[in-house]
Amino acid sequence: MITFSIVQLLPLLRSLAARPVTERLPRPAGMPGKARFRGSVQLRHVDAGSCNGCELEIASAFGPVYDAERFGARLVASPRHADGVLVTGVVTRNMAVPLEKTLDAVPEPRVVVACGDCALGGGPFIGGYGVAGSASMIGEPDVAIPGCPPGPVAITQALRTLTGR
Amino acid sequence: MSAALLLGGLGLGASGSLAGAVLPARSRGPAAAVLTAGACMAAFAAAVRVLASGGTVTVRSAQILPLTGVTLSLDPLGAVFVITAAVVGAAAGCYAAGYAARGGGSRTATALLPLFITSLLLVPTAASIATFMAAWELMALTSLLLLLTGHRRREARDAAQWYAVMTHAGAAAILLAFVLIGAHAGGESFAAIEAHAAGVPPAVRSLAFVLALAGFGSKAGMVPLHVWLPRAHPEAPSPVSALMSGAMVNLGVYGIVRTGDGLLRGGELWWWLAVAGLGVASALFGGIHAAASADLKRLLAYSTVDNMGLVLIGAGAAGALAVTGHRELAALAMIAALFQLVSHSAFKGCLFLAAGSVQRAAGTRDLDSLGGLLRRLPVTATLFGIGALSICALPPFSGFAGEWLLLQGFLRGFSAHGAATATALLAGVAALALTGGLTVAAFVKAFGIGFLGQPRTPGAAAAGETGPAMVAGTALLAVPCLVLGVIPGAVVPLLARAAGTALGGTPPEPLRAGAGLAITGSADVIQPALLAAVLLGGLVLAWGLVRLRAGTAARRGYRARRADAWGCGRELQTARMQYTATSFAEPLQRVFDDVLRPDRDLDVSHLAESRYFEQAITYRSRIDDAVERGWYRPLTVLIQRWGEVARRAQNGSMHRYLGYGFAALIVLLVVLA
Repeated sequence: MITFSIVQLLPLLRSLAARPVTERLPRPAGMPGKARFRGSVQLRHVDAGSCNGCELEIASAFGPVYDAERFGARLVASPRHADGVLVTGVVTRNMAVPLEKTLDAVPEPRVVVACGDCALGGGPFIGGYGVAGSASMIGEPDVAIPGCPPGPVAITQALRTLTGR
Repeated sequence: MSAALLLGGLGLGASGSLAGAVLPARSRGPAAAVLTAGACMAAFAAAVRVLASGGTVTVRSAQILPLTGVTLSLDPLGAVFVITAAVVGAAAGCYAAGYAARGGGSRTATALLPLFITSLLLVPTAASIATFMAAWELMALTSLLLLLTGHRRREARDAAQWYAVMTHAGAAAILLAFVLIGAHAGGESFAAIEAHAAGVPPAVRSLAFVLALAGFGSKAGMVPLHVWLPRAHPEAPSPVSALMSGAMVNLGVYGIVRTGDGLLRGGELWWWLAVAGLGVASALFGGIHAAASADLKRLLAYSTVDNMGLVLIGAGAAGALAVTGHRELAALAMIAALFQLVSHSAFKGCLFLAAGSVQRAAGTRDLDSLGGLLRRLPVTATLFGIGALSICALPPFSGFAGEWLLLQGFLRGFSAHGAATATALLAGVAALALTGGLTVAAFVKAFGIGFLGQPRTPGAAAAGETGPAMVAGTALLAVPCLVLGVIPGAVVPLLARAAGTALGGTPPEPLRAGAGLAITGSADVIQPALLAAVLLGGLVLAWGLVRLRAGTAARRGYRARRADAWGCGRELQTARMQYTATSFAEPLQRVFDDVLRPDRDLDVSHLAESRYFEQAITYRSRIDDAVERGWYRPLTVLIQRWGEVARRAQNGSMHRYLGYGFAALIVLLVVLA
């Protein structure tokens, strides 16, 4: 039989109300005072026709070094679980309808994050024979991450403007 | 009074059959249905009076059958079976009137159905060997002919052949068993046999019981004698399927209990351990096949094998406990078995009738071709849902009370000393647990694939609610599912009386009276009515909270938006891409590969230009009954070979036949001289 005394439990109870032992990260410049999603944002990533450069950088942003998840941003497996879509690449003809369907499957209110120059209407592939357009086809992006490709720091910072952490 | 009601009921049933045979097409359906309902009501009233008073009603007539006459006797045990047959019969009769109105009722079918129902009422009241066998054969033949009304389909003809052979082999075994004990006991009526049963030599008693177990067990769908059941039940017209699964299989259990506990006065321990063991095998085999089946009625038929297995475990446990002298525990197990049997009749009858409506409305019973029927057949779907919840043993429905009682019976039986009995009971608990899970898998599949989602074929898309008579017949059987589930305490004293009759003498009451279920001498009580009230309250609360939140969201300016089902963003997305019954059952099928032994066939053809592009993919999967394939096929092949050999002797030549006659005469003269 294990017996507890209330004295033994006190440190445990105190830790529940205590401040975190780690320090708060400084807020990046240009971050809005009040974020659209408080503390957490779930994103469905759609590769609409990328060269996979952005994918490498996103993988790195969510990897152990930059660890974007500690700021509340998460990549999820279905748009039904998501608060928005993270689009990379130009929109190829084959991916135009799937991209629209994915956005439609995300419940509102939702955001569109365009990652990389291709998604923002630039990049080396725009005007190619298989290219239908860019992510602006599905509406003006709420968050734009320029760069070819944008680095993990840029991606993490952009996601922090959504989560507010 | 009870005797008059009983005879009146049987007479009404016979006149219903006559009305179905002679009246013109327009009026015969309703006339037969009304007379059948009257027959069932009269028999129901007689049986309830017998159960309430605990007495026995006996009617004798020397005129009807030659030599022996007819002896009818309704005691509390038979009354339980008469009541279930009457309720299922009334529902099926009502349903059949609607079924026939839309081109499903030939004169033969309309005339035979009341006769089949009457025979189901007659079998549990028969009290002599001759009467019993006459009623039993009437039941077998009428159901066989009703099955053959679908003779234009090959599957129905095959099923009828299997059924005819199995039921007649069974009847022969039963007759042999009765003749054996009747000859030694020196009497033909059941009362005389019971009085002299103690004088029958033990070897003869055991032989008679084994024969009776084979004959009655085959009727009850006991593995390995069940092979006719998953063929005949799906192929029969739906009201007949409901009667077969809801009332006829019960009579197999009735026969085992009546012969073993009644006529043979308990007998030996190994008899009942065999009954329980075969029950475990049936429960598991039926459960696994039901979970793997994609044909709605075949699924229900295998689930009948499963449930009858559970009832047989209960009956076997009751017999074993009674033989070892634990009368109170035996009575509890017998009450549990009877409760499960009655509740199975209600929910399986309801499910079969609802499945018949689905087949009628959508033109198929293949779950992989159905879907979206909840919107198209809302009432039938709700009734099917009630039956499915009940069979899954969820609380406020009857299956929950039945399985609770069975579990209590098995678990409490451990206190009876004896390794063999304890092992059998342990196997019973395990079988109950495993089949409980398999049943949930089977019925989540049946309801989820069949009634939810989008229709997979134009037939399912065009389906509409069936007529009021069919809906009323189905609803009549959904009522007892709910009533038995909410107030099981009301029927338990009646079942206790029946169990007392079955086990001989008056055992102590194992259950305390009251609305809930309470075991005597223990603190274990469940109050299903309270449980139902709490569940209902919870549902209302959840619904209210959802409404409240929806209202709040609407006030903030959000509104509900309908979007396509998420299909990974595919451009082409059709209803055929939904989860099917076959794909739902695939993981379970893999787990039970050794039992099911499915036949899988995958053909992939490639384009001529490149091996990397497929032209067509054909996938075939088929699950045959492993018992049928492994044990019965070799037997039928053997019989066929023997027939071909015998054919050489019978070549149709008149001269040869005259020669045979002459030779036989010579041999006879030589032997006699």
